[in-house]
Amino acid sequence: MATSAYWRTRLQRYRLMGNKCSTCNKIFFPPRLVCPYCGSVKLSESKLPERGRLVDYTVVYSAPECYETVIPYVVGLVELENGVKIVAPITDVDVNEVEEGMEVELTIRRLPEQLEGGMICYTYKFRPVIK
Amino acid sequence: MREVAVVSVGYTRVSEHWEKSIKGLFVEAALKALENADLSVRSLDGMYVANVFAGYLQGQTNLANVLADSLGVYDKFAISIDAGGASGALAIHEAYKDVAHGVRDVVMVCGVEKMSETSPQEVVSALTSVADQEYLRYTGITVHSLAALIYKTYLRRFNKKQEDVALMSVVDHEHAITCSHAQYPFKLSVEAIMSSAILADPIRALEVISPSDGSAAIIMCPHEKAKELGLSHVKLVTSQIARDKFNLMERDDLLSMKALIEAAQRAYNSTGITPSDLSFVELYDDYSVMGVIALEKLGLCGPGEGVELLKNGEVKLSGSIPVNTFGGLKARGAPLGAVGVYQAVEAYLQLTGNAGPNQVKNARIGLTQTSCGFNSIVVINLFEACC
Repeated sequence: MATSAYWRTRLQRYRLMGNKCSTCNKIFFPPRLVCPYCGSVKLSESKLPERGRLVDYTVVYSAPECYETVIPYVVGLVELENGVKIVAPITDVDVNEVEEGMEVELTIRRLPEQLEGGMICYTYKFRPVIK
Repeated sequence: MREVAVVSVGYTRVSEHWEKSIKGLFVEAALKALENADLSVRSLDGMYVANVFAGYLQGQTNLANVLADSLGVYDKFAISIDAGGASGALAIHEAYKDVAHGVRDVVMVCGVEKMSETSPQEVVSALTSVADQEYLRYTGITVHSLAALIYKTYLRRFNKKQEDVALMSVVDHEHAITCSHAQYPFKLSVEAIMSSAILADPIRALEVISPSDGSAAIIMCPHEKAKELGLSHVKLVTSQIARDKFNLMERDDLLSMKALIEAAQRAYNSTGITPSDLSFVELYDDYSVMGVIALEKLGLCGPGEGVELLKNGEVKLSGSIPVNTFGGLKARGAPLGAVGVYQAVEAYLQLTGNAGPNQVKNARIGLTQTSCGFNSIVVINLFEACC
């Protein structure tokens, strides 16, 4: 992916920015140009809640290029506080200690993969809420 | 509308073909299909080429143009179709429309894929490239991890054991033993699956497709013309396509698989054929659990009962509804863009009585289901024996 292509997606990657449809009021992630539910183009940016609940998860052992250095890692299905569901990497938890129902919060982390020219890239991840 | 027939097939074994290029595989399958019907390449009105990864893995875009030319078809239409795993069946769908509506008479559909010349990591990346890149690239989320979430949901909702779902792959391997074009013609036990490497928990390596090379071709024409030519043929009685949301999180439920239900219902309703009329089914089991879900959504059994069909042997060649009669995606192999064409080839072999040791007795009607992206595209083709 070109650096500029990555840069264009910075809001979803760094701020978990989705959309809210002004016509049907649905909120969704990642951002789109057209509402997937009603076809409306009247969309506004909608920052997703930073907290949610881990509905389900999987531990990844077979990874794409670059990610083989960080296996095993957890990918989870997170239901955010507003009900929007998102698939995201789960971090700061041992693969043997991750649990369904766990409360999680957003964090931004560096990826093992780099962009063209060695630029570092980051993504949203969720980590257990420390009580 | 004209009735549409498949008059010939040609295919390579699914394997790691180190000595053959993507062009070599394509030409081999295409020439066999022509030769089997005693047709000259000049008799083709053109062709659809189905492929997913040539641009990614071989760096070869503009594929149909390049491949058609390599066959000596330089003056007729040639169109590339890329729709992930559904490519082959979607190409057949397009050819079906051409022939049915009188746009073209003799059309070849050839699926081809070459996935073996790369590292396992590159293959995971290539498979993941079928997903939305703006969304999933640079997150570490793999296609396997999405499949794992579906798998876990299925096990939990229907209170099933993975050992039972994995029987889907066991059945595939059993049928592949006597299949000369299968990539993995050997028996596979549940124990072997359960002790193979975990890709994304709970998914085991031996219940998932592997990288494959292969090419399959079919020739289609109006039924009347097939009779004139005196060729052994089968009818393609309907070809239905349905689509669903690509982002699993935007679907109501991970197990809804609306497009699969819709395409199947339309195929049944438009022909009057019911699930109990089917002699066999070739379904899309890129993951064992996707095959089990397909058994249910195609109406072969009720929700959560797919595992029972596997356990009581109904899906065997001698069972009430034989499934994946040559080994399915798991054991025949899954050269991705060619899968739907291999399935059509297998339906042709069954319905013309040329399936050899894999022959289903009194095969009259066969259904193929081909999908992409967890049934975000589904193509259902129904084939019927003639005479």
